[in-house]
This record gives sequence, structure tokens and C-alpha cells, in this order.
Amino acid sequence: MSPRTRSSGGSSNYEYVVARVRARRAALFDEDDYRKLVRMGTGEIARFMEETEYEREMNALGARYSGVDLIEYALTRNMAKHFEDLLAWAEGELYENVARYLRRFDAWNVKTVLRGIYSGADAEAIESDLIRAGELTDETLDRLASAESIEGVIEGLEGTIFYEPLLGSFEDFEAEELLVPLENAVDRTFYEQLIEDLPDEQYADRATQLYLEFLRAEIDFRNLRNALRIARSGADIDPSEYYIDGGSLFDAEEVRRLAGDKDLLVEHVRESGYGDDLETALEELAAAEDLIGFEHALDAALLEYADTLSYRYPVSITAVLSYILAKEREIDNIRAIARGRESGLQPDEIERDLVML
Amino acid sequence: MSVLPTLTDVILQTYESDPAIPALAAAALAVGLASFGAGYAERGIGSAAVGAIAEDESLFGRVLILTVIPETIVILALVVVFLTLS
Repeated sequence: MSPRTRSSGGSSNYEYVVARVRARRAALFDEDDYRKLVRMGTGEIARFMEETEYEREMNALGARYSGVDLIEYALTRNMAKHFEDLLAWAEGELYENVARYLRRFDAWNVKTVLRGIYSGADAEAIESDLIRAGELTDETLDRLASAESIEGVIEGLEGTIFYEPLLGSFEDFEAEELLVPLENAVDRTFYEQLIEDLPDEQYADRATQLYLEFLRAEIDFRNLRNALRIARSGADIDPSEYYIDGGSLFDAEEVRRLAGDKDLLVEHVRESGYGDDLETALEELAAAEDLIGFEHALDAALLEYADTLSYRYPVSITAVLSYILAKEREIDNIRAIARGRESGLQPDEIERDLVML
Repeated sequence: MSVLPTLTDVILQTYESDPAIPALAAAALAVGLASFGAGYAERGIGSAAVGAIAEDESLFGRVLILTVIPETIVILALVVVFLTLS
């Protein structure tokens, strides 16, 4: 690769990974498939999935689950398989950058285990809800799921990035008997390491710079969503407590000031660097009463942006990024269709809930 | 100063002598460097090709052609060699 690439465990193999990822991106469901799916019942959706990409998962899980549950488990398992593949293929800097983003599933898994143990679910129930896509190995996850207590889980995480922060907030948990401090610790750790030790931007190529920008946007949008939710719920929560450092959109002080007023918040985002890209999403937000429309518009804007980047910089991480986002959207879409059909929604109602390009 | 006339001779290349790289060696270099370039190009194409085949086996024929395209530059270098040596 380019001589400027930082050597962390060898050079990156962009060509190989991008070729495979592009093939898989092209094989995702397209608009026609969705149009067919929204007119099917859950049984038909399951059968349709058996004939596609999801065949193996549907067959493996078919004996244990049925209906929408089967579809959901097959979807997450398939997504986990594909993302694990990405980590298995990538080398060097490419691996670092892909793992950075995929560690969100580690955070998800740790939270799932904590919630499961807290509510007294058995190991099997917890394991079925895990998404085995992050960096934590299968053995670690199994050990965590079968832990006896919250302490056991934290102990089992020794050596990972989550250990220290969880240990730190364990006292709060014991005092309040609530999971919130622990969950916050996990989320905060994930977002902090998302932008920690970033490669020197000056020496990174343009595509990598854009990817880093994307990671920062991820933090900004997380902050934005949190602020919006607090603003809408009207709860008396200090927004800066949930504020995650590292974004460029606001600082802790601004979040506190803006969270009280939705219109001010929208105005703030419109004037920021994201204003142009999020034009539709912001209009949706200003007009709509609920956040769902805004979040969908946000997702669609992100996906479109990632696609554009992947065409502009073909041999770079942006192709991988666009695949990851597209795959996540596909999982969300099929799940929304299956759930919507189960509860008897009309096709056009469901179609409005899908994120499509 | 006797440097000046010497320098003038060097700059104007008035000396009659053998070139630093003889024709045969230059030809060998041409082929070698061209092969080196082809090899480097094929490295990237090859790994992308293997990735594509892993996803879809029917691409084998097309991908094989793409992989050997940089080889043409070696052939061009050989043409230059024959022109030089003839």
C-alpha cells in the first residue's frame, strides 16, 4: 500500500476486502424485493428468506424458533456472520478502522448480558440475544452469559476495554440497584475508544480522513438524538450527563442549553457543518411530531453519503463502511416488515417505515 | 585554473568514451523494471481477483484476463529491447 500507511501489524489489504464487500453489497435486497416482502405474510417472508442469502441461518434456527422470532434471529445471526467475515479478512490499518466501528456490537453484547443477568434470565436466553459480530470471542461471550452475578460478568471482562470503566461504576450500581450507571459506562467506553488513538490525520489519505470524519459524526448524531429525546420527554435530566466527548457539533455546555428547546436545537444543527447534508432530515424533524421520521431521514442521508464516498474513493475503507451501513439497514428493514405484517399494518404504512435509497 | 576547460569538456561532452550503461545492460534494465512494475500492478489486481472469485466463481475467466493485463507492459519492453539490439 501507500508508503504513508501506518504499519500496525502489516499493511492493509484493501483490494481483497473491497472486492468481496462490493460483491456482497450488490447481493443485498433491492427495492423490488422489499416491495414483494411488504405484501407477504410472516410465513411467506420466512420462505422467501430461505431461498436467499439467509438460507443457512433459517435452516439452523428453524427447529428452535418460528414466525417472526425465527426471522429476527436469522437476521441478526446472518449479520453477525458477515461482520465477523470483515474482521477476519481485514489486515493492518484497515482492520483497526473496521474494528473501531464494529465494537459497537461488543458494547451491545455486554449490555445484553448485564440486563439478562440483572433480570435473572438463563444463559440460553441471553445467548440467543447476543450478536456475535464484535471483537469479543465466542468463548468469552458464552462465559459471560453463564456468569452467576453482575460481578461475575465484570470479572469475565478483565483485559477488555470495558473492565476498568465497569469496575469504576460498580459502586453506583450497588448503591442505586439500577443498571443505568453500568450501561452508561459501557456506552461511554465504546464512544470514547471510537475516536481514541486515531491515525494521524495529516498523514492519512483522503478517504481515511473522511472515514474519521464519519466516526465523529456518529458521536455528534448520538448526542443529537439523546438531546432530542430528553427535550421531547420533558424529563428533568441533566443532558450533559449523557454527553459524549469528541464530537464537533456541541460541547457539554451547549447541550445543556439547547436540550430544553427543540426549535433552538434544529436551528443549531442547521447552522453547523451538517446543515446541507441533513436538509431533508431537519425539515422532517421540524415538521414531524415524532422522532422516527427524523431518524429514518438521518439514516438515509448517512447511507447515501457513504455510497457516494465509496464510488469516489473505490479502493479504501469507504466501500466497507457503505456495506456495513447497507447491511444494517437491510436487517432493520426486514425486521420492520416482519413485525409490521405480524401486527397487521398495511403495505404502504410499512413502506413508509423503511429506509430505502 | 585548469578546472574550467575540463568542466567545459564535460558539459559539452566532447570526450569520446563508452556510455556508463552499455546497450545490453540498458536493455536488461528496461525489461527488469517493466516486469517489476507489472508485478506490482498484478499484486493489487490479483488480490482483488481472488476476492471476487471467492464471492462468485463464475467470474474466473473475466478476472483472469484483468489480472494479466499489466503483463502487456513487459511485452512492450521486449519490443524496445529488440529495437535496441538490432
